[in-house]
Amino acid sequence: MLTRLGRAAASQRFFGVLVLLIALFVFFSISQERFFTSANIETLLSSAAILWVVSIGLTFVLVTGGFDLSLGSMLALAGIAYAALFNDLGVPAVPAIVLTLAFGALLGGGINGFLIGRAGLSFLVVTLGTLTLFRGVVNLWSDTRTEQVITPVLDSLAFDALVGIPLPVWIMAATFLAALYVQRSTYFGRDIYAVGGSPDAARLSGIRVSRTIIAVYALAGLLAAFGGVLQVARIGAASPLVGDAIIFDAAAAVLLGGTSLAGGVGGVGGTAIGVLFLATLQNGLSVSGVASFWQQIITGAILIAAVGLDRLQREGSLNVRLPRGRRTAAASASGGDG
Amino acid sequence: MERATSQTAQADDTHGTGRPVLVAEGLHKRYAGVHALRGADLTLYPGEIHGLCGENGSGKSTLLKIVSGLIAADAGRLLLDGAPVRFADPTEALAAGIATVTQETTLVPDLSVAENILVGHRQVRRRRGIDWRATRRRAAEVLARLDLRLDLSTPAGRLRPNEQQMVEIARAISVDARVMILDEPTSSLTDEEVEAAFRVMRVLRERGVATVFVSHRLNEIFQIADRVTVLRDGSAVGGGPLGDYDRDGLVRLMIGRELEQLELDASRHHAEDPVLRVRDLSIAGHVERASLDVGRGEVVGLAGLVGAGRSDLLDALFGLRAEVRGEVEVDGRPVHVRDPAHAMRSGLAYVTADRKRLGLVLDMTVRENLLMARTAGLARLRRPRAAFERAAVDGAVERFRIVTESGASPVARLSGGNQQKVVLAKWLATDPRVLLLDEPTRGVDVGAKAEIYRLLTAAKESGVGMLVSSSETPELLLLCDRILVMYRGRIVAALAREEADEARIARYAMGHA
Repeated sequence: MLTRLGRAAASQRFFGVLVLLIALFVFFSISQERFFTSANIETLLSSAAILWVVSIGLTFVLVTGGFDLSLGSMLALAGIAYAALFNDLGVPAVPAIVLTLAFGALLGGGINGFLIGRAGLSFLVVTLGTLTLFRGVVNLWSDTRTEQVITPVLDSLAFDALVGIPLPVWIMAATFLAALYVQRSTYFGRDIYAVGGSPDAARLSGIRVSRTIIAVYALAGLLAAFGGVLQVARIGAASPLVGDAIIFDAAAAVLLGGTSLAGGVGGVGGTAIGVLFLATLQNGLSVSGVASFWQQIITGAILIAAVGLDRLQREGSLNVRLPRGRRTAAASASGGDG
Repeated sequence: MERATSQTAQADDTHGTGRPVLVAEGLHKRYAGVHALRGADLTLYPGEIHGLCGENGSGKSTLLKIVSGLIAADAGRLLLDGAPVRFADPTEALAAGIATVTQETTLVPDLSVAENILVGHRQVRRRRGIDWRATRRRAAEVLARLDLRLDLSTPAGRLRPNEQQMVEIARAISVDARVMILDEPTSSLTDEEVEAAFRVMRVLRERGVATVFVSHRLNEIFQIADRVTVLRDGSAVGGGPLGDYDRDGLVRLMIGRELEQLELDASRHHAEDPVLRVRDLSIAGHVERASLDVGRGEVVGLAGLVGAGRSDLLDALFGLRAEVRGEVEVDGRPVHVRDPAHAMRSGLAYVTADRKRLGLVLDMTVRENLLMARTAGLARLRRPRAAFERAAVDGAVERFRIVTESGASPVARLSGGNQQKVVLAKWLATDPRVLLLDEPTRGVDVGAKAEIYRLLTAAKESGVGMLVSSSETPELLLLCDRILVMYRGRIVAALAREEADEARIARYAMGHA
């Protein structure tokens, strides 16, 4: 049974990062006595909650062969929207969360999704545009000021515990399971792989490709807005500055987890491992007293190494020695079946 | 049926004699769990055209990849001029005189024909930069050697696919290749282009090059090859001068049993009421006022040259083209086909010619591909029912005789013929009224071809109307009740089965009345 499980894991694209994660975890546990304590593990996990939900949303977008640069701006915008709903309009805390999530889905699906899926514009151009555009709206709306948001609901969301486990960890688990269900156990989950694998074949099979694309950007917007709410809960305020770099961490986590920029392969399981890897690295290094710049250097190096490793596994060679012209000849000669 | 032409293609005994230039002996190759080659042999003599035959999965590609240096054999050896050799990569094989031309082009589309022929280090250099005049002269010499007429300054990307192939052959000749591997060079060519390719192959033969020719079309093998090697299950099961074989014998060797003969004539039943009715369908520049009917259980063929508008007509019926004018009725109900989802709801299904890009999602499993079209109309947040899916997939795998480890295997791992059966099963699972098929057996070996014909016949008997476009006239003559011939976007002839033959169809297809 255990060997079967092991073999199943080994066939996954995130296997390499999983091994690295375990190694890293063991390393910090042995070398730092303050690392493997329940308090520190709780901190490690809770601090990853925002990156976790944003990365899950981004995973779906990548599986369809797209990308969403605007998620960080959307996260900040959702925070400001929550503050406006709760402070200015007097919407109670919980309905305000629901409205904020709907707002995120609307922004993601209605603007990014519509322009990419229906109008057929390039996802890089569209989300690069909305990255700046949404950030501009954030600054305009907030007047670049941080606004306090004081509510026991958000407080408990960020800091309370249920049966000894912090709520953010419960939220992570629930989000992950819901996403895993959508990915593996719905026709929509299959659609995103079909659209990412071959949009033409998907369309020809009767799959509504534009709707699928709109839906994944809406889902990514919703999860970014959720990240925005969690951010407000964590710092007790809506700040126009948050989320400006989260897209890089999220992209690193998703790619480390084996989802490909080319679309059609990967999934949220790998992304979860990617996020945990980044969180462990950051936490372990800070516990060790290593400057946070090292975290950036190591993350970057490992990201490149992981993607290279994946290519090595699939093609048996990196083709590094071959000059350009020869390489294309060799690559195309390998085509054809029989 | 295709006519065996064994007597016209007798091996000329002056070719393919003397000392072999290349010998492959006892090659073994295993891929994760699959024993692809089990002691395969291949012997090539200078100045012969050597037909390499075998079904998909028989090990042809693996054998050729080893010979061309792309992969290494686990066991066995290669002898070049009697001396053992080992190639680390295709560059080394090329340096030793073994060149490979596959269906996928390796030309740089933006560079000229001359630059592509002499790509790399072989352009004539001056102290500063490249001597273009000398380069062109050298490229022209190479083309002259092959008796080819191509404009040297045309960018390669603007050439027709068959001309691109010629440029690739010319490039190989420019390095004095002695072994030329042509892996299915003719599979997407028109008859005239095939003839041009054969001319080049004959020139290669005259120049003493050993040419390996792979084709699924046996009549091509019989037209041009001097000797053959037949592979089955990873080893050579026969070979020698082509004159020793007739068509049926070769097929028997390839598939290891007798080919099933189709019995179609008894089961033909026309229906008076058409399931598909098309009136004055036009696509500007591609199809002009096409009108046709397909009856219940009737198979209508579309013949014509490549580019005559056959694929455009099928695309338009399935909602893949904008700006389509005309009327379409399925089962008496008018349809405005706007997109594939809509076409499917009207009862249409479409097996496209491009299996890998349009027919399947290669990253996904056999199961997911099989059920993709059938489940496309369901609510997207529904959960696929495992029991239903397993039953549906098991049923299709059995009925269509799809060779796969399981429904959870990636469809990319299947052979071409089995992939095509998955495409067919996928569309028949939608229970269509009308099945559109474009080149239903392209790149499929004889065994799988016969199975596909059998499956189509079964679908016909269950009342599905079919519109089949094919470049292979014998296929149309075998399958169809009626054959429509297209020429430059128009349907120029409608022939009943009894009055159709290859010559007549060819005449109409060329635009002669």
